[in-house]
Amino acid sequence: MSHQTTERRVNYLGIFIFLAILTLVETLASYLQQTTIKFPVLIALSVIKAVLVLLYFMHLKFDSRIFGYLFIAGCLLSIPLILVMIFVMPIIADY
Amino acid sequence: MSETTSIIPVPQSENTKFGMWVFLGGEVVFFVSLILIFLLTRIVNPNYEIEFRSLLSIPVIAGNTFILLTSSYFVVRALEAIGIGNHKGMRNNLIVVIALGFLFLAGQMVEWATLFRDGVNYSSTFGMPFFTVTGIHGTHVFIGVLWAIYALVGDRRLPYTKENHMGIENFGLYWHFVDIVWIVLFTLIYLI
Repeated sequence: MSHQTTERRVNYLGIFIFLAILTLVETLASYLQQTTIKFPVLIALSVIKAVLVLLYFMHLKFDSRIFGYLFIAGCLLSIPLILVMIFVMPIIADY
Repeated sequence: MSETTSIIPVPQSENTKFGMWVFLGGEVVFFVSLILIFLLTRIVNPNYEIEFRSLLSIPVIAGNTFILLTSSYFVVRALEAIGIGNHKGMRNNLIVVIALGFLFLAGQMVEWATLFRDGVNYSSTFGMPFFTVTGIHGTHVFIGVLWAIYALVGDRRLPYTKENHMGIENFGLYWHFVDIVWIVLFTLIYLI
């Protein structure tokens, strides 16, 4: 991996500044009263930030794809948990 | 030329990175389950906004988020530095990461202390899932800080090189993952 970090020129400062701007936008957007706009915007900004960190700071964009698959596997394994929550939620709410 | 000579050898050190990604994949499941507990509590209790969210200080936590993002940038700088054999650069950047890690934890302690004062505790409806998920994340940050200190101390004993600095890279993967978890928590707990 050592060769990869030296040969590739990535503007990490630019990515960091962009992430900081997105954080500021997120924070300001959280004060919006219209939840129909606020929720999707905040989720989208959060996903963009996480993907940027994964791709550039964690080098998934340049590394072997198998590392990315391992991370995606973790996300896929979480789906049953989410489904359980969806099914359990009405029961708990009634209780 | 025989067939075996044409195979590009995979450096053994890459195995540790593979192991790190397997670990992070497991961590995804772990944190998703914790976040779901928080969301479940929040969804089934309609008083979330009045009883809990109104007590959270968004500007303070936004500052903490910025601190963690900044620390991630310095981790990348440390990795870049050792990638060109710049030992001093790597060490200085790691020291900044450690300082920012402690600063983040201090910010979290202030937030927790404020919530305790406002009557939110481990046994309250929203306190239990909140302190569990943010506490476990904070523990991860603390472990990351210890790891960075270990990397600094280890570098004195057996210095990382331009060719072999997998220890720093694996630490970086862990730290960035903890950053990603916070990005998600910041949105789901504090902003929405």
